[in-house]
Amino acid sequence: MRRHALAVGFFGAAALTPLVIHDGFFLDSLVLILMWGAVSGAWNVAGGYAGQVSLGHSAFFGIGAYSAALMATRLHASPWLGMLAGAVVATAAGLVIGYLSNRLKGPYFALATIAFSQVLLIVASRWRAFTAGSEGVPVPFRPGFWTLGFASKVSWVYLVLCLALAIYLVQVYLERSRIGYQLAGVREDEDAAQALGIPSRRLKVRAIAASAALTSVCGTLWAQYVGFVDPFYVFSVDLSVRFALNAIIGGVGTAMGPFVGSLLITSLETTLRAVFSDIRGGLVGIYLIIYGCLLIVVVRLIPQGLVGWFGQRIRAARRYARA
Amino acid sequence: MTALPQLLISTVLLGGIYALIAVGLTLIFGIMRVVNFAHGEFLMLGMYLAFWSFTWWGVDPYFILVVAVPLFFAIGLGVYALVMRGVIHASHNVQIFTTVGLSTALQNVALVLWTGDFRFVRPWESSVVVRILGAAFNLSQVIAFAVALLFTLALFAFMKWTHAGRVMRATAQDGEAATLMGINTDRVYRLAFAIGIACVGVAGVLVSPLYSVYPTAGLQFVLLAYVVVVLGGLGDMVGALLGALIVAGVEVIGSYVFGSAWKEVIYFVLFIAVLVFRPAGLFGQRGAEALGV
Amino acid sequence: MRRRSIVLSALVSLLGFSLLSLAFVSWSEGQATQGEYKIGVLEPLTGPLAFEGKRHIDGYEVMRDLINAQGGVMGKKLVFVVGDATDPTAAASEANRLITREGVKIITGTYSSTLCGAASEAASRQNVIYWESSCVDPRFNKRGLKNVFRTEIDATGFGWYNIEFIAKHLAPRFNLAPNQIKVAFLAEDSSYGQGVTESARQRAKADFGMQEVALEYYAFASTNDFSPIIAKFKQLNPDVVHHIARGNDAVLFWRQSREQNFMFKALIHAGATGYGSIDFGKALGADGNGPFVLAEPSAGLRLEAFRPEARKLETDFSEAIKKRTGDEPLASHRLAGSGLWLLKVVLDQSKTDDLDKFRAAVLAIDMPVGSMLNGWGVKFGENGQNANERVQHYMLQWQNGKMNTVWPEEFTTLRAKWIPLGPWDQRK
Repeated sequence: MRRHALAVGFFGAAALTPLVIHDGFFLDSLVLILMWGAVSGAWNVAGGYAGQVSLGHSAFFGIGAYSAALMATRLHASPWLGMLAGAVVATAAGLVIGYLSNRLKGPYFALATIAFSQVLLIVASRWRAFTAGSEGVPVPFRPGFWTLGFASKVSWVYLVLCLALAIYLVQVYLERSRIGYQLAGVREDEDAAQALGIPSRRLKVRAIAASAALTSVCGTLWAQYVGFVDPFYVFSVDLSVRFALNAIIGGVGTAMGPFVGSLLITSLETTLRAVFSDIRGGLVGIYLIIYGCLLIVVVRLIPQGLVGWFGQRIRAARRYARA
Repeated sequence: MTALPQLLISTVLLGGIYALIAVGLTLIFGIMRVVNFAHGEFLMLGMYLAFWSFTWWGVDPYFILVVAVPLFFAIGLGVYALVMRGVIHASHNVQIFTTVGLSTALQNVALVLWTGDFRFVRPWESSVVVRILGAAFNLSQVIAFAVALLFTLALFAFMKWTHAGRVMRATAQDGEAATLMGINTDRVYRLAFAIGIACVGVAGVLVSPLYSVYPTAGLQFVLLAYVVVVLGGLGDMVGALLGALIVAGVEVIGSYVFGSAWKEVIYFVLFIAVLVFRPAGLFGQRGAEALGV
Repeated sequence: MRRRSIVLSALVSLLGFSLLSLAFVSWSEGQATQGEYKIGVLEPLTGPLAFEGKRHIDGYEVMRDLINAQGGVMGKKLVFVVGDATDPTAAASEANRLITREGVKIITGTYSSTLCGAASEAASRQNVIYWESSCVDPRFNKRGLKNVFRTEIDATGFGWYNIEFIAKHLAPRFNLAPNQIKVAFLAEDSSYGQGVTESARQRAKADFGMQEVALEYYAFASTNDFSPIIAKFKQLNPDVVHHIARGNDAVLFWRQSREQNFMFKALIHAGATGYGSIDFGKALGADGNGPFVLAEPSAGLRLEAFRPEARKLETDFSEAIKKRTGDEPLASHRLAGSGLWLLKVVLDQSKTDDLDKFRAAVLAIDMPVGSMLNGWGVKFGENGQNANERVQHYMLQWQNGKMNTVWPEEFTTLRAKWIPLGPWDQRK
């Protein structure tokens, strides 16, 4: 249970918050923290556990967002079906990226994933017949469970919490299971792993496909929450970077890392924006300068991420206490 | 086909510009193996340098070049010392995200200082029409191309025939071996970065009469520059030039044949195809990409 | 190691601070102080749309000061609380903040189609009035939301007017029937460019049978050379070029068309960007003579055609904007200003921000064209949209470095020239 202390604390606090705090903005921020944490967790499956750092995950996110929106507007189908459809399409896309991962390493792979997400962006913004082009797709809000239409923030907190928990558990599974160990091997030294008979290529592809499907599910929920799918946003490089960033700040390759990272980044960004918005028109950008500088500092000083760092301190403290 | 001269010369002129933007990146990426997300922001700063000197002092961008080279070289040295040096030996993740933070910070410094308005630099050269083989262009395009070509060739000569250039190429090929040979890799990286930034700053000044100047102007060039760099092979100057011509050709011909809406798709798909089938670039050394960058 | 510990402890404290701040940030108790009425303003202040967001804010603030000089709204001083809507997620999040932390009952904004969708969704889930002043997404008012209103017409309106102008005012002077006119559509690729162009295309075909010879979309920021497109167009020989531009692309296309001697009878654009920006005149001077721009009124406007109360408003607003920015009001200023003024008119009638009474007041207003800023009239439909026919738009033309108002003729002293456009060097 000690292993999961952080998770229990985090998710427990998240679950209890709506019972104690009724302020809409706080709950909205909580939803965003959990949602971005969940997507980063999905990213982590490929980037952290399989070691394939992708900067094009917005491709899968966008697929999920568009599936929900398009199925709802064109087929009047339930967004849950859209979620399923999105996951299927994203998995296929993930297989393509997986294939690429077997041919490319490091920054080349990252660049290829960026190119992939940009191709999807351009297609989505031009293929008017299918996606309404640059104008994006408004997501109809129909109250009800099967239409994923919840007006209450509390419902959203619990819904996204379930998603976050599920993704946390997937990551924990990857940490402890045989597949997870194999993946770790592939991540650390692919040649050695192959020498040991681990089917590294297949594993990588599967990890990326799984990551893609999970990211797409998050995309669907996001679309239902925010209510508008803009191709220039959902397929943007900015979003892809955000997904990876949360995991890296929090601790890539740890199950709680993405959530801790999201906690810091999302709350920081939201707070800074709230504080600076009322400043004389042109100076609002200052908050992003601060944000950018903080990023540089944090990434440099804690390359292993917050969770890793905490883990080290705790272990060090324990060792010291025992001595 | 009366359009042919226009299209061909467009390609060449555009290619020159893309080459200049990419040449700085191929140095940085090729020698330091750092994915620099902030590359476009230095281009943007170069554009603003041209804009403000033109607006306040009426200085033609082509004269500002003289100032731009040492200025951006110094900026490169500074950024290296402050930001890059600490992450040279860190993981790719750290490098990427450090430069992401730098990119966000720089974009917003520009936004806060100079607002998001689209600015334009219009020196007298932009209104001069140059006719080549019956095709029409403006003088700014031609000058940008000529200077870009000069710079690329100068860099090529530098890399090939000077001691410093050889040292840089050696470090690019194998950083550890270079250290063993007594090369101070830190100084090499610093020089490479500074030259790279100087190049992209110059590129910014040169393209300022051709594109709008605004804080996020760098973004659309960054990806393009990476496509060119990958096509041409890392660290390869001539490769960058050829890669730039190919990308420019795809854009121009692609626009004409398929419609301009799809030109980016074409070169991204080309990019992915090259990555899959010839990842070392069309002109680079085979196998470079699998050597664990 | 010690320095690292200090920095990391600082980071952890930052984490704590962020969370606590989230708990308390901008927590005011509903309405600000006695005698003040607070509304929320959502605009993109960072990111790629920041420059327009800033102009909107300027327009809003100037109009707010004018309103307060006349007694404010519902007897109280009008006060803003601003949110930065830089992308759809931020738009929704900031909308939530303004509603729950600042307690606003009305939110206005938001410039871009992609932002207004998300922000209005967030507002409607909390039954807050959303008063949109400029986004042009045609679907904005088709969601059946009772709290969402828009004072400006949508993109379909722009396209509608452009084609109207071509068919009714240009075609006769070309000696062509509308269905003989060949149109080349060229547009930048954002939601704005696509929206206007698509609605224009539809009307051109459906209502007039015009012949579409080309449709080209381009990415505005990365296009520095229109040669391939111009080469193609030259071979297709259109009569009219319908070009929706965003910035320097207008200057570029016009100049390159001249350089490559691409001849056409007219060029039409809609909106305050591209050809509609004063920058076009600054860049080209008399070389820029000819293009038509559907936009807010400018030089030549006959205020006499407006009603008296509108005349005064028009003059006051222009002067205030000139004082603040040094230039004539731009369309973004006008859109924001008219939107806010209309809001005041409604609140003066309803005397409350209760949704049902507010809505009733909105639907009850009926003012003819010429009653407000920009010569607008007011008549909202059930879907919360101010009617196309009341939102008067004007056709302007670049004449010797100035954008002159040339249509409708009863609103202006100036007239259109160069129909059809003759050889490039003969447009004086």
